[in-house]
Amino acid sequence: MNNKFGRLAKPYIIWLYIFAVAPAIVMSFLIFTDMEGLDLANLKMTLDNFSQLGEKSTLIAFKNSFLLSVITTAISIVLGYLVAYKLFRSNFKNKFLILVILILPMWSNILLRTEALANIMESNNIVTTFLNKIFNSNITFPQLRGTYFSVVFGLVVTYVPFMIMPIYNSLEKIDRSVEEAALDLGLTEMQKFWKVILPMSSKGIITGSIMVFLPSLSGFAIPKILGSGNIVMIGNVIEELFNNMNYNIGSLLAMIILVVILFSITIVNKVDKEGEMLL
Amino acid sequence: MKKVIIELKNVSLSYDDEPDVPIVDNISLQIYENEFITLLGPSGCGKTTTLRIIAGFQKPTQGQVIIDGKIFNDIPPYARPINTVFQRYALFPHLNVLGNVKIGLKNRPTSYLIDFFGGRDKIEELIKQDKINKGVAEDKIKKASYFEINKKVNQLIDEAAYNALKLVKLDGFENRKIEQMSGGQQQRVAIARAIINRPKILLLDEPLAALDLKLRQNMQYELKEMQRALGITFIFVTHDQEEAMTMSDRIVVMNNGIIQQLGTPEDIYNEPVNGFVANFIGETNIMRGKYLYENHISFLGAEFDCLGYKFEDGEDVDVVIRPEDWDVVPLENAKLIGEVTSCIFKGVHYEICAMFGEQEIMIHAYETPKVGDKIGLKVDPYEIHLMKVAREEPVSDQEGQDNLE
Amino acid sequence: MENNVQNLNDVPVAKLSDYGYRDYHVLAKIWKVVSTILVVVIIFMIYLSILIIALQSFNSSSDVLSFNKFTTYWYTHMFDEPSFATPVRNTFIISVAATLISTLVGTLVAVGIHYSTKRFHQKIMLLNNIPLLNADIVTGISIMLIFSLVMKIPGLEYIFGFPTMLVAHMYFCLPYVILNVLPKLKELDSNMMDAALDLGLKPIRALIKVIVPSIVSGILAGLIFAFTMSFDDFVISYYTTGNGFNNLSIWVYSSIGRKGLRPYVHSFSTLVTFGSMVILLAINFFMGKKGVKNGKKH
Repeated sequence: MNNKFGRLAKPYIIWLYIFAVAPAIVMSFLIFTDMEGLDLANLKMTLDNFSQLGEKSTLIAFKNSFLLSVITTAISIVLGYLVAYKLFRSNFKNKFLILVILILPMWSNILLRTEALANIMESNNIVTTFLNKIFNSNITFPQLRGTYFSVVFGLVVTYVPFMIMPIYNSLEKIDRSVEEAALDLGLTEMQKFWKVILPMSSKGIITGSIMVFLPSLSGFAIPKILGSGNIVMIGNVIEELFNNMNYNIGSLLAMIILVVILFSITIVNKVDKEGEMLL
Repeated sequence: MKKVIIELKNVSLSYDDEPDVPIVDNISLQIYENEFITLLGPSGCGKTTTLRIIAGFQKPTQGQVIIDGKIFNDIPPYARPINTVFQRYALFPHLNVLGNVKIGLKNRPTSYLIDFFGGRDKIEELIKQDKINKGVAEDKIKKASYFEINKKVNQLIDEAAYNALKLVKLDGFENRKIEQMSGGQQQRVAIARAIINRPKILLLDEPLAALDLKLRQNMQYELKEMQRALGITFIFVTHDQEEAMTMSDRIVVMNNGIIQQLGTPEDIYNEPVNGFVANFIGETNIMRGKYLYENHISFLGAEFDCLGYKFEDGEDVDVVIRPEDWDVVPLENAKLIGEVTSCIFKGVHYEICAMFGEQEIMIHAYETPKVGDKIGLKVDPYEIHLMKVAREEPVSDQEGQDNLE
Repeated sequence: MENNVQNLNDVPVAKLSDYGYRDYHVLAKIWKVVSTILVVVIIFMIYLSILIIALQSFNSSSDVLSFNKFTTYWYTHMFDEPSFATPVRNTFIISVAATLISTLVGTLVAVGIHYSTKRFHQKIMLLNNIPLLNADIVTGISIMLIFSLVMKIPGLEYIFGFPTMLVAHMYFCLPYVILNVLPKLKELDSNMMDAALDLGLKPIRALIKVIVPSIVSGILAGLIFAFTMSFDDFVISYYTTGNGFNNLSIWVYSSIGRKGLRPYVHSFSTLVTFGSMVILLAINFFMGKKGVKNGKKH
């Protein structure tokens, strides 16, 4: 009887094959070809695309991407864990409201938000002029736009909510009596945190790290706006290539990112078989 | 005179949102060294809360917790000489069996551990022995370094862990993951994890509730043995009166946050102080009777001899007779004659229900009367137990203890 | 009573130091205050951009970098420029359509996954993570490539635009609905469906009457997630649109390039943020009341 309902999921797997699996096959094909756009009539098989990987600009973009997203992830783990832990410890147990607080900023367009951050990273900006008007002063901010700091700041404040939620979820799953058992066995509050709570919430940290690392690694809007051309990440290179109809090298770089992502997905799937931590 | 190890003095606990509804209501209780005491009562009676107050997980709103002659109200659980076996075991899923057992000792300061394992001299002596065994000449042995002492302490923790696991019959399971263990095995890990710390008091919060009957009976026996072998106080919480009877030196019967009765299993079974205890401990018949004069009582329209109770002449009393204490006799010898309403085979005996006028009586007997038959009953004087007629207010523990004496 | 009090005076109070522990409760209190301040600062940082957008929305000058005078002009003249009104309308059409379809389909798929075999379950959950975790740019390019191939089919040359963007949005919204609904299904009593069927309900009716009401909170959470992701999306929309079909983020992106960002965008954004805050708080209030009712029933 229940198999009838089981059939409801069948079309979805076909959908996933079309949009998630098939493109990867198309891209692997494009890597070995040379043509403009998807001009299948004039395609040539070639291995030349791989030489792009040796280009200095590509290497710098990869270096920037990995470096900045690792730093972003590390900062997000610390800040996100702190917020998640304090929320978990507070009497505020309304998970829906916590969720709302964390996702509400996303209801403003991401580009607008990044623009707004870029704004106050200028030495004279909307806030300084506003304050100067009110207090009749002459405040300026440091010129941060275009620095690594501004890009990391933008990445952290944009993606840290994706760290908080999985950690909060994993903390919520820790049985109260396990914490009591730790205290009962002689562990102080501090030891309880390091020896019991932190390892037991590691699933949330891993899932959250992936949720922060991947978009940081591959994003192109934030480095483009906050880095104002000084800081190029791999997403910017891919965007440029596809804009110039160079699908082949674009696919090559996209495939490299996809490999990192598939690797991450298998990790997520290992630590969290049911996808309980993600949301 | 036995030494008191824990004393609760007028301990009460209520939650902020309902200050008028105490979970634990003015409990006073003395627990002795090396005894097996059980808190028994239905769910919500305050027994687990009492245990949590002793363990330090909850602070009493009123009253004092005195452990080993000191007030412990403000001492956190980790500093109390108490360990707990939790109802759902509460094992650490990220550690293996050995890790779970060792975690308590491993996180203590070295100075504590040195004392725990018999003092610095003893540990230095052990290190010296090791070196001699390795063939180092005795006059060449230097004083043990900090690292050597640390290493030895870790080695002693390992030994203690293996011994604890041996005691709960889990040797060989050291490297198993918790999720690979059955409920009964997890239970044993929880016990090993607690006793390795050599607590003065072990608290057990319904530890057998999740086990199946056969395993539960084995564990009852083993726990009792363990308590004797370790020579420490066990405070056991259960709602299962049979479990309490089997294992305890003394039983504390609780209801509505109040101690109803405190005594040995025999006392509580044979001399319940009120209807709640009588009903909660086994099946029973409670009838209204009249205390005629010394050692004479009348109930169900007949007069009986009784022994050892003192009431006012003519006072109303509650008469308690256990189903197995009735003697079924031929009608001509019977004091009471009733009509059988049901007769059910219970394995060893039959459970017979019969009406005596308005009163239904339950009898455990080997006879098999048919429904509608007349049945004749007699009862020996020493099987008749009398209680004061229950008032509106539940009987407080103080009075309960008075009645016992 | 008197007696007790006298006795207690003789009983020493235990100290932490007697048991080999140091008393850190002063330090713990300081940390509590410091960490609370830190959390407030972090939340403030997450909201910093929103606050700046709000400030910009009241700026009389069109120069985004300098504040001139306080005005509400942009709120009243938000849609005066048709080149802005159209992308906003498109954004809402896409988001609402993608959210509703994804919620309906996603719920059915989740029920399907719940009642399917374990192997199928694991396989589909693995694939389901791809849209969720894949980089937006890779997802965007992937879907674009697929539709570029579809475009080669005669009659489908002009597929890019509304249909492609809708499909793309459904693609990344569905996993959110599924992941929110599945845990609720797992919490259900496994006999509930059998009981309903046993009582003679047809499977579809049983689904609507028995299962859906018990998982409605998960469906709602999925819906909110899906709408948020769809509404916020830029990269995937950017790659899957065409033929002049723009949504808000694409419009903003090109405006940034032309330095043409005008404060009415900020007014609109601020309105949406605070409007949705009110709606979500109302939902929370409504759900909270229901929760209390349910709680009392048990």
